[in-house]
Amino acid sequence: MPSWPAETKYISHSTLRVDAPAKVSGRARYSSDIQAEGWLYGMILRSKWPAARIAKINLENALQIPGIKAALAVKEGESIVRFYGEELAAVAGTTKQACLDALRAIEVEAKALPFVVKENDARAEDAPRVWPNSANAGEGKPKEQGSVDQAFSECAAVIEGFYTTPVQLHHPMETHGCTVSWTDEGVTAWASTQGISSVRDGLAGGLQLEQSKVRVITEYMGGGFGSKFGAGVEGLMAARLSRAAKAPVRLMLTRFDQALAVGNRPSSFQKIKLGAKADGTLHAFELDNYGTAGIGGGSSEGGGGDVAIPAPYIYKVPNTRVKHTSVAVNAGSARAFRAPSNPPASFGMESAMDDLAVKLGMDPVELRLKNDPSAVRRREYDLGAERFGWKQKYQKPGSSAGPVKIGVGCAGATWWGGGTKRTQGEAEIHPDGGIEVRLGVQDLGTGTRTVIAVVAAEILGLKPEQITVKIGDTHYPPGPGSGGSTTCPSISPTVFDVCTQALQQLQAQTGVPDARGDNWPAACKKLGTSPLVVHGQWQEGLSSGGAGGVQFAEAAVDTETGQVTVNRILCVQDCGLIVNQITLESQVNGGIIMGLGYALYEERVMDHLSGVVLNPNFETYKLPGMADIPQIDIVLLNMPERGVIGVGEPVTIPTAAAIGNAVANALGVRVSSLPITPAKVLAALGKVPPPTAKPA
Amino acid sequence: MKDSNADGFGVQSRRTFFKSVGTAAVTAATASAQSVAAELEKANAEKIVGPGTVPVTLEVNGVPLRLQLEPRVTLLDALRNYSSLTGAKDGCDRAACGACTVLLDNVPVYSCQKLAIEAQGHAITTVEGLAKNGELSDLQKAFVEKDASMCGYCTPGFVMSLTALFKKNPHPTAAEIRHACAGNICRCGTQPHIMRAALQMVGATGAGPTTEVIHA
Amino acid sequence: MNAFQYTTALSTDSARQLAADNGAYLAGGNDLLGRLKEYLDSPKILVNIKSIAGLDRITAGSRVWTIGALVTVAQIETHPEIRAVFPGLHQAAAEVGSPQIRNVATVGGNLAQHSRCWYYRHRDTVCLKKGGDLCYARHSENRYHCLFTGNTCISPVVSNLSIALTALDAKVILLREGKETRMTVPELYQKAWDNPTAHNSLNPGDLIVKVEIPVGRTRSAFLQVSDKHAFDWALVSCAAAARVNGGKLSRARVALGCISPMPHQSAAANEFLEGKPLDEPTVAHAADLILQGAQPLAFNGYKVPLARTLIRRALLSLKG
Repeated sequence: MPSWPAETKYISHSTLRVDAPAKVSGRARYSSDIQAEGWLYGMILRSKWPAARIAKINLENALQIPGIKAALAVKEGESIVRFYGEELAAVAGTTKQACLDALRAIEVEAKALPFVVKENDARAEDAPRVWPNSANAGEGKPKEQGSVDQAFSECAAVIEGFYTTPVQLHHPMETHGCTVSWTDEGVTAWASTQGISSVRDGLAGGLQLEQSKVRVITEYMGGGFGSKFGAGVEGLMAARLSRAAKAPVRLMLTRFDQALAVGNRPSSFQKIKLGAKADGTLHAFELDNYGTAGIGGGSSEGGGGDVAIPAPYIYKVPNTRVKHTSVAVNAGSARAFRAPSNPPASFGMESAMDDLAVKLGMDPVELRLKNDPSAVRRREYDLGAERFGWKQKYQKPGSSAGPVKIGVGCAGATWWGGGTKRTQGEAEIHPDGGIEVRLGVQDLGTGTRTVIAVVAAEILGLKPEQITVKIGDTHYPPGPGSGGSTTCPSISPTVFDVCTQALQQLQAQTGVPDARGDNWPAACKKLGTSPLVVHGQWQEGLSSGGAGGVQFAEAAVDTETGQVTVNRILCVQDCGLIVNQITLESQVNGGIIMGLGYALYEERVMDHLSGVVLNPNFETYKLPGMADIPQIDIVLLNMPERGVIGVGEPVTIPTAAAIGNAVANALGVRVSSLPITPAKVLAALGKVPPPTAKPA
Repeated sequence: MKDSNADGFGVQSRRTFFKSVGTAAVTAATASAQSVAAELEKANAEKIVGPGTVPVTLEVNGVPLRLQLEPRVTLLDALRNYSSLTGAKDGCDRAACGACTVLLDNVPVYSCQKLAIEAQGHAITTVEGLAKNGELSDLQKAFVEKDASMCGYCTPGFVMSLTALFKKNPHPTAAEIRHACAGNICRCGTQPHIMRAALQMVGATGAGPTTEVIHA
Repeated sequence: MNAFQYTTALSTDSARQLAADNGAYLAGGNDLLGRLKEYLDSPKILVNIKSIAGLDRITAGSRVWTIGALVTVAQIETHPEIRAVFPGLHQAAAEVGSPQIRNVATVGGNLAQHSRCWYYRHRDTVCLKKGGDLCYARHSENRYHCLFTGNTCISPVVSNLSIALTALDAKVILLREGKETRMTVPELYQKAWDNPTAHNSLNPGDLIVKVEIPVGRTRSAFLQVSDKHAFDWALVSCAAAARVNGGKLSRARVALGCISPMPHQSAAANEFLEGKPLDEPTVAHAADLILQGAQPLAFNGYKVPLARTLIRRALLSLKG
């Protein structure tokens, strides 16, 4: 069984991100930057009806627009659209302006159908049906364990709460899309994707081509957070347009499109009842949860768009009853979004825990230490509480003086992760001492390239800057899709194996007993005229799954305006073997900031009258800005014995819960609905007058 | 010339106003507007052009870019789709995310909400214009050293906003740094490291968020 | 955007003529280009007015300051004398959008900007303001909308400068068919109060050329609260301006933004404040008067306590 070296020069230290210079200088080329020879601009026409029968799509006038080289309908013949923004047609032209004009020249004959876009409306008996042969709300049966009703009667303290989370949008800074060239030789696609293989397979399948005829390249991509797997309608349409126009087509979605059609995190409406014995031991738990995954998780790319959430999340309660109901609405379907199902699960459960702690008169950290089955997390609570100053900061709810009330809260996380066995890689050692390490994996900004350079350097006794890392090409050995926090635990053991074998073979072929470090150039020279190419793959024993993590939050709430300011977040995260500290720190910051957005600002708003997404932009779908960022202190537990574990997702799970608990602690009353806006804070404080005006 | 009045408020001449404000940005803007006006006057001002394409010359990073564009083409579109300068990014096309930020006469603007045709006569600086002889600027180096990029898509925009700040004020406070970055969005979460990079520029490396590693 | 012709005007007369046939004036472009991109408007020609001489000056005066319509919001924000003489105007400017927006946004454009209601701005909802039959917001998502209105549309004024300038009793000077016309700031928005399809009282072809601010109110303040801490439209904004002598107010004006199609004032409140001590009971009563008649809808009732807080804080900050 292989194992990581005990003493390391690079692993667990900080190597600067190897592609940072390319990014800060503007040299990095993303899919949206690719300017293939003779390229055309592509654009998609979307349904403005939330539900409609499409009888005919007339592309004639669009084709007449000067500069337009192709126009295609997404589906032939009649079709049904089921959400505002569903794709209808696409055009390719020499300029963006020509495409914009062409879209407006497409005539769509449609008959509007009844629709429903809000979860609570969709649950009504007489609501319009999203799908003809099924009710909008699934017939979920509760799952029981133990005797819940009996158990509640035995509890010393029981709380009930209704905790809700909104539909959240991924909104990576680079939109979805790709540049595709489809010629007789095959397809080349520069895709903004988290999974080049998934795009390759999606294009091959959708276009009915052999997989070997499809090449996908992703040198740089501008974020995904779970939404960028598969070819997407945009990938397939770009390819078909390219074929029709006989030119490469760059089809990138607009920010408007991103709010409609490329995935989201399902909402949750969690009715929770939680009971404990007098000493705080959890005894009974009931959850009735519903939420929407849009028109349905079935059509979500890459899975992970389920309404069901793990409950009672990280806790083991002997008597439970859990029910999940997925409610279909006429809106874009959900897709996996950073730690799918976990942030809402954490929010509901950890809010309930704090409410229970208040009822029991117990310190919330004590209640968690009593009930958290994970030794690692219990240790993290102890460490975190001490670093955070929890004992000094935790006051009875609502007890801080003055109009700006300070409060603190905490929450825990769990995640699976683990490495993908089928990850492969190769190294090419050149006689001049150069070394390329090639994997068909992509770097989403997570630091993948740097991790590869670090591991290679460590094994070969070289410096990371001596390693030429090549990723993002399906011509390279297949790597993992970047999801589930599996990338680092997949590629690190793979690079370990590739480089270990490369070193062995170099030494064997050249007769140099130890080719590492200073001996490297001379050893390589002995290769003569033939570079050495060595293949390797993921090996057992160097990575594992399962991360915990806890976060503490301090929030200040202005009770006269309702505005929430998060002063500080402290994160204690077990990391397995830290591969590269500085890029890991960035991942932690990123997860926390995404959780902050979920807690305070983000919400996809549907209009029940028109069925449209009302906030398809960054103006009213609000992301944290520089002025909203709290002080983020990080404690990393380096646990080399567990091997490499991915932490991209655990770090975003408990943030909103911790912030929600801090706000409740500050106010003495809970805002149990995300996002926690000034409007909701003022309402929770009883300051909001009821509506007077009747709609005219 | 200075008068005073009963309320004690001085009347300021234009000259003293410029002196007190710090002349660079204001005179540049006024001078640019004046030079645009002067140029146009020379070249048959008030001529109506379009809607078809017209010649548009943009001075980008000191180099003229001669294009043929419809008036409705934005500066961002011109850079990304009519030249190879893809450093400025298209994040939203609605003046809300800052990924398209370029400098117009040293002042950061959203290039997605500026027509290419009206950007003529102004000095346009993009991220590609910052490195000198292949060497990154001090700010770019600070970004690299403090890991202020993740996916990197927002990076050029932040770099431009902060480049403008440091040109105007070499010693900004943390609050001024945040203020200068208010118009730039990052989804990956680089903001804390961007602050570190900017604070490094002013030699403030001490206080702030901490990372502790505990070896199990 | 649909295609358009483009020209640069060198005088206000030629600007008017060039824009006469379905034209639009292009200054900063933040609002105009945003509208064009959503096809809310499709002018035949854009007339760049930034080269018209004389509209970009800030002129201090012993009784009145004059600020040209082409002065940018950034110039107002960074002008040290404006900060000292009209702190409320400085604060209002500092909170407009983001640095990139302030660098190109003009005083005239900020005042003339169209509604930000998300139904108005949405390309696929034909609301009342766009000539449709229905004010969607009234029956649906109205968390950002008016507490007061004179008509069916509930889209509020959101221009920060309009609120600060109202409290300072500024005058807006515009050219209407070539002739100078003077309006108070409320008059600039009166038509939006009365008429659901109006954003303000400007007629096509009108061109704001300057604002004049009397120097009389020595203290002024502007506050806003948004969901976020920066670069976010105000949920409610409030400007206050007055003279304060021996702790007593005179010439006090309080104006609120984001709760009415026009800057919201109460004449009764302004009259009440005259001669009153600047203390808690005074400001509380003023808030009562200002918010009298507020009609909260399903989702914007929070604006009432929020407005109360801002009125109180803005007025009390005048103490200095």
